[in-house]
Amino acid sequence: MKGNVLGKGFPRLDAIAKATGETQYTIDLNMPGMLYGKILRSPLPHGLIRSIDTSKSEELRGVRRVITARDVPLNKFSFYQHLADKTILCSDKVRYVGDEVAAVAAVDEETASSALDLIRVDYEPLPTVFDPEEAMKPGAPLIHDGESNICFHTERVFGDPDKAFAECDFICQDQYVTHHVAHCCLEVSNCIARWSPSDQLTIWVNTQAPHAQRQEVARILGIPTRNVRIISSAMGGGFGSKLVMDMKLPVAAILSKKTGRPVKIVNSRSEEFSTAKTRYANKIYLKTGAKKDGRLWAREMKVIGDNGAYHDKGPGVIGFSSMTFSVLYNVPNIRYEGTLVYTNKQMGTPFRGYGNPQVTFAMETQLDVLAKKIGMDPLELRLKNANQPGEMTSCGAQITSCGMTQCMEAAAVAARWRQKRDQKGLRGIGMANMVHTGGGARIYGYNAADAFVKLSEDGAVTLITSAVDMGQGAHTAMAQIVAQELGVNLEDVKVVSDDTDLTPYDLGAWGSRTSFICGNAALAAARDAKKEIIAVASEMMEANPSDIVLENQKVYVNGSTDKYSFAELADYAINKRGSPISGRGRFVDKLPAGYTITEAFAKNIPTFVFGTQIAEAEVDENTGVVRVLKFVAAHETGRTINSAMAQGQIEGAVVQGIGYALTENLVFEKGRVVNDGFLDYKIPRIGDIPDIETILIETEDPDGPFGVKGIGEPGIVPTAPAIANAIYNACGIRINKLPILPEDILRALRELKTKQG
Amino acid sequence: MKKAIHFTLNGYEISVEVESHKMLLQVLRDNLQLTGTKDGCGQGECGACTVIVDGDAVNSCIYPIFEVECKSATTIEGIVSKDGTLHPLQKVFVEHGAIQCGFCTPGMIMAAKALLDKNPKPNEIEIRSALSGNLCRCTGYVKIIDAVKTAKDLLREG
Repeated sequence: MKGNVLGKGFPRLDAIAKATGETQYTIDLNMPGMLYGKILRSPLPHGLIRSIDTSKSEELRGVRRVITARDVPLNKFSFYQHLADKTILCSDKVRYVGDEVAAVAAVDEETASSALDLIRVDYEPLPTVFDPEEAMKPGAPLIHDGESNICFHTERVFGDPDKAFAECDFICQDQYVTHHVAHCCLEVSNCIARWSPSDQLTIWVNTQAPHAQRQEVARILGIPTRNVRIISSAMGGGFGSKLVMDMKLPVAAILSKKTGRPVKIVNSRSEEFSTAKTRYANKIYLKTGAKKDGRLWAREMKVIGDNGAYHDKGPGVIGFSSMTFSVLYNVPNIRYEGTLVYTNKQMGTPFRGYGNPQVTFAMETQLDVLAKKIGMDPLELRLKNANQPGEMTSCGAQITSCGMTQCMEAAAVAARWRQKRDQKGLRGIGMANMVHTGGGARIYGYNAADAFVKLSEDGAVTLITSAVDMGQGAHTAMAQIVAQELGVNLEDVKVVSDDTDLTPYDLGAWGSRTSFICGNAALAAARDAKKEIIAVASEMMEANPSDIVLENQKVYVNGSTDKYSFAELADYAINKRGSPISGRGRFVDKLPAGYTITEAFAKNIPTFVFGTQIAEAEVDENTGVVRVLKFVAAHETGRTINSAMAQGQIEGAVVQGIGYALTENLVFEKGRVVNDGFLDYKIPRIGDIPDIETILIETEDPDGPFGVKGIGEPGIVPTAPAIANAIYNACGIRINKLPILPEDILRALRELKTKQG
Repeated sequence: MKKAIHFTLNGYEISVEVESHKMLLQVLRDNLQLTGTKDGCGQGECGACTVIVDGDAVNSCIYPIFEVECKSATTIEGIVSKDGTLHPLQKVFVEHGAIQCGFCTPGMIMAAKALLDKNPKPNEIEIRSALSGNLCRCTGYVKIIDAVKTAKDLLREG
């Protein structure tokens, strides 16, 4: 391999512009004549709309247009269209605090806000239900048409779990509760819509899935997809919140059409917390059984997911968590049952980990309980049951590359596992493993990407890619792959993206898929361009194509000291040869034999990634506060593209995980979020973070570009159970719910003292 | 009711005529088109709007414009030197991988600058304390702390 950039921690291509404040995020954009939109949202969690009077708001000076349900198409929408249940604005009923009821466009934000206050809505309150298990019961208030609030259900069985449990020597059975957390992207959700005179709609929006949202906008407005263009730009965070279209997009589009002006709608931070959708909260019933020697033999999980008031990607989240549950440790006899239930709260949506952090919290804390029952060290138990490279799991998933054992061993050494298990005082360490996808999923039937590389007339290399950079560094990662293949520096590669008119159809940035899917396409494009470069060079240098070398930004005949720059090569191509140089790359994920979407289950995952985290924590017995002292996170990258960026992904995910475990919690009172600001919704601050050591394990995936697989999500998956297990090691208490708050610790310590004394 | 506010911004004396109830952040972004300073929460909680006024890091989203009368304000746009050289803090943030989505970055850099301008030799606790008003959701702060530590050494040398 001639390139020498892969793996190095070079600065990102967009870092300087971000450091100087030049980068324009969607929220920074302004256009001539732009109006400001605001949405009137339901103050009730459940109610009928009797009447809406917008007359006073229309009269307010500076208001250009007010719309309600009668002004918009009432096509029902959802990410899964066969589950469509939401309209742009509510026509007859509101189902959660925050449901969109009306909207205004005005000359400035203050006027738009004042106009909202002048809209009179007459609601008839309806009985409410907020707890999913309550909402499942017959007689619960029905949120949508139909006989029940149960809105999705799936079951999977592999092997014979009932027979297997009877054969187990040790069984654990527990309940776990996970909670609603907010993504807290620093840039709130916002968009600008504008129509051209020829009826082309352009929307500027911070989105992780521009092509998907383009289709969604077209669908809900009832216009051809080809009339919609989505332009994204630098995004102030995503983490899953920006995948599915938000109703602000069609609202802004309709206001823009009706006023003939661009319309911008920006969430307030309060709206962001109370309406921008949360991680799916789960009640998890888990039973695990093991043989005497520690081999996991049977496992059964029942998940009840809080869907919120409308559908989003919940079925996918439930489905994915059933896959990781089924693959982790390759337990031969498994049963999974997952149910989603409507409640009168804001909807769930994907959040980094996509259901996996929730179920991994249950699985990995229970595994420590099991280890204690068996009398085995938790590390030994996990090593014994580790997934292996090349194994075919009982649920039909083919594992290719797998670094689970290496991750565990590396983490244990770095964390000084054996030495630190018996510390004095209320200090302990705990570990957790994880499995996740390292390449998205095949479940939509399309898992492919195109990319293009062009050489400009001055020799500059440009990559055109549909990879979405939501801050994780995807554009730099793609450029680094191209630079590696062409033997140029990272900063020599320019990346063009962000516009659905320009980029090929791509499903977006989710499922840690970008490096694998879009990376493969970028590599293929670079290889294709390289063929043309070599053809031109062999003519220019009168040499055999097989003797041409691309290295250190130069092109030359192997062994020769006459080295040419890309500029000289391009000059020859354009001005002497008379043709340009470019490359087209395509990656189509190869499906396993006999694959069908519905039956494929875990065959939907192109490649798995594994990882281990070990947390060291100290519990204060007077305040109940848990201080995380140190984290070791050992994760597979397959092959690291950029070490600084890979570490950054893990560090950021671990800190999100610490918040998830200990401090973050959206508090609902009668369906209303009461802590809708950073003051009362606690995300980790710089003073809260422990010493974090990341270890990148390279296992050379056979299908990833240069062996790469995804690293975006894995870092948050095992964090909460690692902390919970550290708490147990520190002071002997088990908390089976998240977040683990000081009051939970104090209560449990008191109970433990009573039991002991 | 509009009022003329005179202050020094990034080294230049300026005068803006704005409604006196506006906050400094709105004036910077809307009236002066300086969008480098970000609006993250509007409530003084996230620090994305951090600018420096008379040497102090302030949350410009809750800093009334009339308060800046006759004072000297510096934004992220103002710390690059006249010949275009990045400020050492900007340089180390770039080189240390301390920037991911970048939305918190201008505020984070300004808070760090305010610290280092007053205290050129902060220890880690002082660094964490000075930046405790700046939220970051992407990086986990690890590389931000590394970057500020490196910057303090660079500034002491240069």
